[in-house]
Amino acid sequence: MNTLKGTINSLTISGNLTLIGIKVGHINMSAIVIDTPKTAPYLTVENSISVIFKETEVILAKGNTDLISMRNKIKGVIEKIISEELLSKIIIKSSVGNITSIITTNAVKQLELKIGDEVTAMIKTNEIMLSE
Amino acid sequence: MIKINIQKKLTSAKGEMLLNIDTSIEKGSLVTLYGKSGAGKTTILRTLGGLLKPDNGKIIVDNTTWYNSEQSINLKPQKRNVGFVFQDYALFPNMTVKENLEFALEKKQSPKIITELIELIELGELQNRKPETLSGGQKQRVALARALVKKPTILMLDEPLSALDYEIRFKLQQHILQVHNEYNLTTILISHDISEILRMSNQLIELDEGKIIREGKPSEVFNIKEYNAKFQFTGTIINIEKQGFIYILMVRIGKDIVKIVADETEGKQLLIGDNILISAKAFNPIINKIN
Repeated sequence: MNTLKGTINSLTISGNLTLIGIKVGHINMSAIVIDTPKTAPYLTVENSISVIFKETEVILAKGNTDLISMRNKIKGVIEKIISEELLSKIIIKSSVGNITSIITTNAVKQLELKIGDEVTAMIKTNEIMLSE
Repeated sequence: MIKINIQKKLTSAKGEMLLNIDTSIEKGSLVTLYGKSGAGKTTILRTLGGLLKPDNGKIIVDNTTWYNSEQSINLKPQKRNVGFVFQDYALFPNMTVKENLEFALEKKQSPKIITELIELIELGELQNRKPETLSGGQKQRVALARALVKKPTILMLDEPLSALDYEIRFKLQQHILQVHNEYNLTTILISHDISEILRMSNQLIELDEGKIIREGKPSEVFNIKEYNAKFQFTGTIINIEKQGFIYILMVRIGKDIVKIVADETEGKQLLIGDNILISAKAFNPIINKIN
């Protein structure tokens, strides 16, 4: 799994759900959880938190990503690619630490991904898990 | 607050063993005693209940001394106000459910509690039946209700759920939590089931050969990182297959078997037979009603 350290900088509560804005380095990330500050006291602005997501949930893009709905976008440079028959593991060096992504080898070929390429790693808001 | 500081020499299958316990339990908490059989869990419950006398030590419950070897104080079981539920139900076979509960009433105690418990633990339809006509889960609900008639300060549960299947177990866990909160009980549970412990208790005491080896919040004792994930299960690994840089784990969760993809960092530290906690976000599952 990927783990990044961040600080909660906003909470938007609606019913049982909370949308959490998290500052990770200079990047703004967001997570949504079925909890509120009442049910989960760690949901407090300024609290430090771990942002966790599975490698298989990390989407990679080359070039402009402005018009993609994904709220969590981390720019970086490909440091390593391990390709198997179906899946490839790609390690991206970013300003907030290394991010690992597992995508299909077909995708690696189609995007012509190689070491040194600039890419954006993206994770959906509802795939981000939090831990104190 | 319950303060337990007891020593007792025990003869176990492995020979002599010294039970040596020094701990305290907060009022209102739900504590699990965890450990191999023969570690001394049941002995602790029996000692607390006054069914077994320690060789030395003190037991102080809410500032009342129940046992003190130096001052020769040893309150009788009936003065200690504890409720017991065992794995075998120990109900009176010749009495109906309601009569079993009424038998536990103390002199001059209002029978109102019986109606209240029948309602709370959903025994309404069973109240006029004899124990032999009840299922294991139903008997255990009656045993739970009976343990609560006296309004005990401490409720002690000695593996009450281990003979029951998962669904019934889950229901009974809910009933235990419900009465624990409703009657502001201090509850001590003996359990081997990690998911049950994580779900139910706020303090864990792990014993080995008569001594406390680990103590604390269950997630901390088991070294489980707490995630905000709502889709969380404990399971046992029954197979591990490495395929390139991923691992495919076959995991038994209750009576279901699932397959999970693990990354190398997760997979390489796992062995068949390991108990694991699986966490996922609750947004992915697709739901189909079963008819």
